[in-house]
Amino acid sequence: MAAAVYLIGVLTSLMCAVLLLRGYSRGRKKLLLWSGLCFAGLAVSNLLIFVDLVLVPEVDLYRYRLATAAVAMALLVYGLIWESD
Amino acid sequence: MLQTLTEQHQFDSEVYQFIFDQIESVPHLEALLLIWNSRPQPWTIENLTQRLYVSRDLALRLLQDLVRRGLIAIVPGPPEGYRYESASREQEQLMTAVDATYRRELVRISTMIHAKPSASVQEFARAFRLTKERP
Amino acid sequence: MIEAFLLGVIAAASLTAATFFLKFWKKSHDTFFLAFVVYFLTEGGIRVAHLFFTHPNEGSPWIYVIRLIALILILAAILRKNYGSPAGG
Repeated sequence: MAAAVYLIGVLTSLMCAVLLLRGYSRGRKKLLLWSGLCFAGLAVSNLLIFVDLVLVPEVDLYRYRLATAAVAMALLVYGLIWESD
Repeated sequence: MLQTLTEQHQFDSEVYQFIFDQIESVPHLEALLLIWNSRPQPWTIENLTQRLYVSRDLALRLLQDLVRRGLIAIVPGPPEGYRYESASREQEQLMTAVDATYRRELVRISTMIHAKPSASVQEFARAFRLTKERP
Repeated sequence: MIEAFLLGVIAAASLTAATFFLKFWKKSHDTFFLAFVVYFLTEGGIRVAHLFFTHPNEGSPWIYVIRLIALILILAAILRKNYGSPAGG
């Protein structure tokens, strides 16, 4: 059940990332670049949860999961502040 | 008289729809109208920078945005120029109406442009459009 | 210690993002942005909740449910934007 939620998280984040980066390639609005990268990072973070809990349960990836999410969110906040007009 | 008024009203709503959909800022509109009014003569970035009292960077971004929307076209240099790109007679009629309306109702149009969400925010929402013809 | 710090960073950034999306919704009247408001509020809330668990991987199953609801809201908002009624901004 938990694994399913995290996989849905990966797919949703990935879809948002793809759509936003595609939008960036068309209109060149930097807000879409930063938010697209954010969702890509959140997808990685969600994927790491799945890897951590299911694939390598003997290794604790908690810090790396948090770090990727933190970097992703920092990119988003940067983009929102500078590029949302 | 009534027909003229209703035609006018129809034009106005098309003008406002055009400005809402395609115009990202007041300098964008002014640049477009400058280029429209001197068609088919192209403008260089330098001329536009001087005429609009904006920085060269901003002028370049404006022009790139307008090119991307298919409203103006690049004339290869040197020096590189930008001229009006005529898409259709309807487009030309619309541009005439936009020009006239802006001269008449500058404050109202500027206010409307400033009340819009920014182009970036509109693009964000638009990025999630998978089908055509939807806001 | 560092985990708590990172949780705080993510929570604060999520709250900031949610506020921006709230502003976008207010400016554009496009309810699409509300899904992102909810998503980032829940993400922030979940991180705060994690502060109370020593083993964040186990945690309460409610956290999974809340996250799932937030994700479904985003997917629903995207579907509604593309296939929903024209009145839905």
